[in-house]
Amino acid sequence: MVSAMLQILTKQNIKTMSHLLEIKNLDVKFDTDEGRITAIDNVSLKLDQGKVLGIVGESGSGKSVTAKSIMQLNPGNTIYNDDAEIIIDNENVLKFTSKNDLKKIRGGKVSMIFQEPMASFAPAIKIGNQMIEQLLLHKDIDKNQAKQISVDMLNRVGIADAEKRFNQYAFELSGGMRQRAMIAMALSTMPKLLLADEPTTALDVTIQAQVINLMKDIIKEYNMGVIFITHDLGVIAQVADDVAVMYLGSVVEQGPVNEILKNPLHPYTKGLLNALPDINNLDAPLQPIPGSIPSPLDRPSGCVFRTRCPHASQDGKEANIEMGLVEVKPGHWVDRCGVDCRKV
Amino acid sequence: MSENIISVNNLSVSFDYQENFLSKKQQIKAVNNINIKIKKGSFFGLVGESGSGKTTLGRAILGANKISTGNVIFHDDDRDFDLTTINSKEMKEYRKKAQLIFQDPYAALSPRMTVRDIIAEPLEVMKITNSREETDERVRDIASKCRLNLEHLRRFPHAFSGGQRQRISIARALVSNPKFIVADESVAALDVSIQADILNLLKQLQHELNLTYLFISHDLSVVAHVCDIVAVMYLGHIVEMAPSRELFSNPKHPYTKALLSSIPSIDPENKSKAIELEGEIPSAMNPPSGCVFRTRCPHASHDGKEANVEMGLVEVTPGHWVDRCGVNCA
Repeated sequence: MVSAMLQILTKQNIKTMSHLLEIKNLDVKFDTDEGRITAIDNVSLKLDQGKVLGIVGESGSGKSVTAKSIMQLNPGNTIYNDDAEIIIDNENVLKFTSKNDLKKIRGGKVSMIFQEPMASFAPAIKIGNQMIEQLLLHKDIDKNQAKQISVDMLNRVGIADAEKRFNQYAFELSGGMRQRAMIAMALSTMPKLLLADEPTTALDVTIQAQVINLMKDIIKEYNMGVIFITHDLGVIAQVADDVAVMYLGSVVEQGPVNEILKNPLHPYTKGLLNALPDINNLDAPLQPIPGSIPSPLDRPSGCVFRTRCPHASQDGKEANIEMGLVEVKPGHWVDRCGVDCRKV
Repeated sequence: MSENIISVNNLSVSFDYQENFLSKKQQIKAVNNINIKIKKGSFFGLVGESGSGKTTLGRAILGANKISTGNVIFHDDDRDFDLTTINSKEMKEYRKKAQLIFQDPYAALSPRMTVRDIIAEPLEVMKITNSREETDERVRDIASKCRLNLEHLRRFPHAFSGGQRQRISIARALVSNPKFIVADESVAALDVSIQADILNLLKQLQHELNLTYLFISHDLSVVAHVCDIVAVMYLGHIVEMAPSRELFSNPKHPYTKALLSSIPSIDPENKSKAIELEGEIPSAMNPPSGCVFRTRCPHASHDGKEANVEMGLVEVTPGHWVDRCGVNCA
């Protein structure tokens, strides 16, 4: 009786505690010449303040499209479903249409770090001016204050000679330095939510280690929520609290990072881990996942992974199972088909 | 007959560089005094970060970059090719025996040629086959060895995924029946599940066709898995070279140690204890004197710091070579 009461109480608590970000039933489709492509299919994610949610998946799995949907950066031919919600601070950003509303999220409440820092800085504008520009857009401050904030931020991310770098162009910085500057720029408006899309992929390992440590410090210091997108499971293991594994636009497994990486249940997650060369276990053979990712134009019906699943159940093979996450252990969600096919 | 297929002796490659037409011409040493021997049938790994000179070294061995000093010798069954004295006719002969697999399977294949034509092109250019039937025969043979579906030969590259394209690239490199292959970051652009497939294919082909590989990569875990012997490059120099197990279990040079510790562990509980290197790789235009790593070395000896130690590999245990400065400071 008491425990039942407690359960109700905690349930209510969870209900009243609002998340920093909540994505509900998001479908994203693109209208192209070849037909309508499903990029995201029924994705729901939650993120709390101070937490890092890792999204892993191979190319074409919809990781970046998910992040871009949050900032509404997808191209003009994008179609969202009507009942999809992306809620930040009790507001559904998918309903934003006016420039002012969009400004609030783009660079205001939400900032994004991109993979290729060379491509994300304007080549002919000094780094400092690009930093000032966005600060003036989002904060009620003058140019001098903006410069002060920017230089402080460049210092904070470990750029030596911040004053000098402030007046340089992106091409004058090395790759690691550029990525630091990118992080400084993304953080200078003090966003609540940071979207990091493969922020370390273009960097060498030693520089990657530097940038990961820097990001971990900063996430803690500013208590932000972070969505960290990468294809590198090692990076996820080091930075994320929770992880969502995506395949062909669907989340197939989701849960705390330790649980997912040590006790993966979905055959795709297992496949990814087996295919990964592990430097601590050189005797393990590399096991590729058979086949290749189907084109999004002919996305499999039923379980999206069934065409490559090494041990699909009869029902799975025949596409009789609808996709949908099931909670197998507290916090550990696996796609329904992935739960069933294991038993065979 | 030598047991090595490639000997690289004191090889340096420099490029001329001029900031603008008024300034003085400078020389950038991309590869500096390299000595390596690649054994027949081995899978030789070359690792290093961007700008370390691994690609330049690979290209120089293939004769695609000019050699500034030193030489590269290819030991064929019956004769040796010295790339510094070779004439153009012999070079053509050499190209049949040594081939390159590129990094990006999207950029390496012409979008206007069918897969059959792409794979057949080397045979036609090198005039290896005499008739179309013979060419087709060789193309089909190598395509099936590379696990390509023979029905796909009539299609164009755009119809294929990254992994399939890389298999087409491999088939093209192997069609002339080479003995030595330089694979330059050949799996870097691929997803992990496909990367494993291509690595297994390269291994399998090595046994089937008696190949020797020079495998260039920045990914240490990949190199650890496939290579027999590994050389670590930093700023144009080899700083450590050893059989792969030995190198990964018992690294000696501080740079190798830092590299290995920087690989993010797949175990979330094993939070990184990366040896953080300060700063970044210095510009090759202006490399540090003495030990090239001294500006970032976490525990450089006094002599190392003051650039009193000349670069040069020392054999610490049989087969395990470490740069002199790295032996002292470790």
